[in-house]
Amino acid sequence: MSNQFPEWRQYLCRACGLIYDEEKGDPDSGLAPGTRFEDIPDDWECPLCGVTKTDFELFEKPVAAVIEQAENFSSEPGIVVVGAGLAGWAAVDAIRQLDQQVPITLVSACQGDIYHKPELSVAISRGLDKAALIKETGIDAARRLGVQLISSTFVVGITPELNQLRTTRGSLTYTKLILAQGAKPALPKQLPPSLCWRVNDLNSWSGMQQALAKGPQKIAIVGAGMIGCEIAEDFIRAGHQVALLDRNDLPLAGLLPTLASKRLAESLSRLGVDYRGNDEITEITELPNGQKQIHFKRGNTLDVDQVLAATGLMTDNRIARHAGLDFERGIKVDMNTLQTSEPDIYALGDCISIQGTPCRFIEPIKHQAKSIAHAILEHDSRGYEHSTPVVRLKTRSLPVVINGLPVADVAWTLIYEDAETLIMEQTIENQLVAHLKVGSGSQTQAA
Amino acid sequence: MNSVAVSSITAPTATTARWADDAKVLADVGLAAQQQLAPAAKRIDEGYYPLDIMASLGQAGAYAGHLDQHGCRFDLSISAMSEISRHCGATGFLTWAHDVCGLYMEQSGNPALLARLGDHTAGLTFGGTGLSNPMKALAGIENMAFKAKKVPGGYSVSGTLPWVSHIAKGQYCGAVAAVDRSDGSRSHEIMFLLDLDERVSLRACPEFSGMEGTSTWAITLVDYFVSEDQMIADPARPFIQRIRGAFVLLQVGIAAGIIQGSIDSMRAVEPTLGHVNQYLHNRPDELQAEFDDLVARTMVLAKTPYEGSKEFFLDVLDVRSQGAELCLKASQSSLLHQGAKGYLMSAAPQRRIREAHFVAIVTPAIKHLRWEMAKQMREEVPA
Repeated sequence: MSNQFPEWRQYLCRACGLIYDEEKGDPDSGLAPGTRFEDIPDDWECPLCGVTKTDFELFEKPVAAVIEQAENFSSEPGIVVVGAGLAGWAAVDAIRQLDQQVPITLVSACQGDIYHKPELSVAISRGLDKAALIKETGIDAARRLGVQLISSTFVVGITPELNQLRTTRGSLTYTKLILAQGAKPALPKQLPPSLCWRVNDLNSWSGMQQALAKGPQKIAIVGAGMIGCEIAEDFIRAGHQVALLDRNDLPLAGLLPTLASKRLAESLSRLGVDYRGNDEITEITELPNGQKQIHFKRGNTLDVDQVLAATGLMTDNRIARHAGLDFERGIKVDMNTLQTSEPDIYALGDCISIQGTPCRFIEPIKHQAKSIAHAILEHDSRGYEHSTPVVRLKTRSLPVVINGLPVADVAWTLIYEDAETLIMEQTIENQLVAHLKVGSGSQTQAA
Repeated sequence: MNSVAVSSITAPTATTARWADDAKVLADVGLAAQQQLAPAAKRIDEGYYPLDIMASLGQAGAYAGHLDQHGCRFDLSISAMSEISRHCGATGFLTWAHDVCGLYMEQSGNPALLARLGDHTAGLTFGGTGLSNPMKALAGIENMAFKAKKVPGGYSVSGTLPWVSHIAKGQYCGAVAAVDRSDGSRSHEIMFLLDLDERVSLRACPEFSGMEGTSTWAITLVDYFVSEDQMIADPARPFIQRIRGAFVLLQVGIAAGIIQGSIDSMRAVEPTLGHVNQYLHNRPDELQAEFDDLVARTMVLAKTPYEGSKEFFLDVLDVRSQGAELCLKASQSSLLHQGAKGYLMSAAPQRRIREAHFVAIVTPAIKHLRWEMAKQMREEVPA
């Protein structure tokens, strides 16, 4: 373009905003590219709205600067918590201790009612039902704590780059996200979900409770871990017949030394629990009369009214996978801050793993919640200090208490033994790693 | 694109060689969409059924990519659909219907239908999909419209199926009918290619508020004989189970085009209106970021369209649902950005508002998607 040649100009239609660009012209109405505005015939019409050239004015780009916002306006909703179990509510509670105003949204797959989960494994013999177990409804708790509760809603996806959480009731934007999704029962494929109860949450427990309320029944509990043993005793005390099935010879074989497992087996047997170890289930089918038939590897079968699977828990990895979070048997978190591999996402409770190990106990949850609340609200805190909680088996007939974390394949030393009590310890290089007390005697570690 | 290549496409070598270059297909489809579709979008919105333009798009390769015989390139079909939808949502929807019809024909493995697939893919013949009602019926939302009885050599089908698009006399569509036992209980379902010949009556549907050019009719059948040559799947359920992820995933292409078109319209007025538009929610860069994320996730899923896992299906429902939500948000914001100019009857933003709502309510609608996702997520417990 030479210096003498005036720049192409643009003219704005005041009626509709169309821009006439001299360089491009308007070939559709016969104005060749390069037609100057003053050369346009007076009867020419705006190709969009039909006004004539007198309604056009010279267009100069407005000088007002466009100020792009650092934060998108719609990202206001604040902190979003996924899961309204003990961990989710603990997180909400811890945040409210520090800040009454910050907006919190709690997304829950269930109703969000507050109950004490450990009670589930002793509630049948106490004659409790769902209503009796609920300490406070989700709606009341939400009102008390000033949170928006979105219940009966599942999280289907997360995009951390957009701070976006997608649910079965639409999308949310979060400033910080706290995952308290819990763990879910790990069902081996031999145990079809349509035939086996699980008791990891109040709703599923309640379904089973209603089935058992019809009268004394014959129940098979699959898995003689902590929950299986506790519930076996609970059902027996409620007047049901119980068969406790496990792959291992003795109950709690993965956790306890043989001496202790034997005492537990004897105690369960005295109560009337039919312990059937050392066999594997190949299949469970439904009989025409509604009973379930359990088929074993050795070829025998067992017919029962109800089957309860207590085969352990696992963390669903869907959310972590979507968000690209590091995951190892649970959502990996920093053991001090509970932050996941994404800076704006924290996690606590049954869904996390610390140094590759899940920790599915109640006691640490409130400490984790407190640490997260301090981190998110940028308050000073020493952070979370992880220690293995004391484990108490709720088997009233034979209390079992473990301090520390037993390590598989490390020998146990007998510390004390009498008819009522057994005390054993595990040490590695003279360091005590686990202390076990079985029975109700008054002997202590020092004994 | 050579428009006389009609007879050559029946030879397998020519079939695989044609439309092999993704970039060329997208460029050709984009050009046809820009030059032919964009100027016709208003007319199509008001009722013009654009078979002539669809033929051009077929020659450009818009309907081929996702088919096994063209390399199972779902990403290409979705991108092509998006290019089309960017200029005309109604034609984007017709493209989806045409694409899934081709998918039924191919996945049926029925030689008689495979013989017809070449013409279909090239846009020489046209056919849609009558699976809205069956999909809802199989999900337990409504009853199956067509009933079939076994007769020698095939089935006899009767019933009325409303709201079937991309059909006309001489065309065809996928259809499903329930086969009941003599005691009235359900035996199974069949899926077939319904040829809309003289035995079929088509009844016009009441006028829609937009996208009238989709040629949508109610089909009435009275003892319509379905021959072996028309059979897509008998029984239909395993087949539908197998293709449902692909069926839903392809629809993301319609949404993608409407979203991109909306963002285009917002950017177009940025020089003149940016100084006031900055006060609006959902600015183009913000929408573009969400759109890019949606497209990226869709393209990953497009690599394994027939994966049967629950996780995969949930991911598909998630992108389809997010696509519909983003369509609504982007189209509304686009109209707000353009102001009165976008509100003109001839303007794309107001048309896209209606197109976006169509994406949000066409089967599976946002409400169905959320209902289905919740169903998939819920843990099964003993009855």
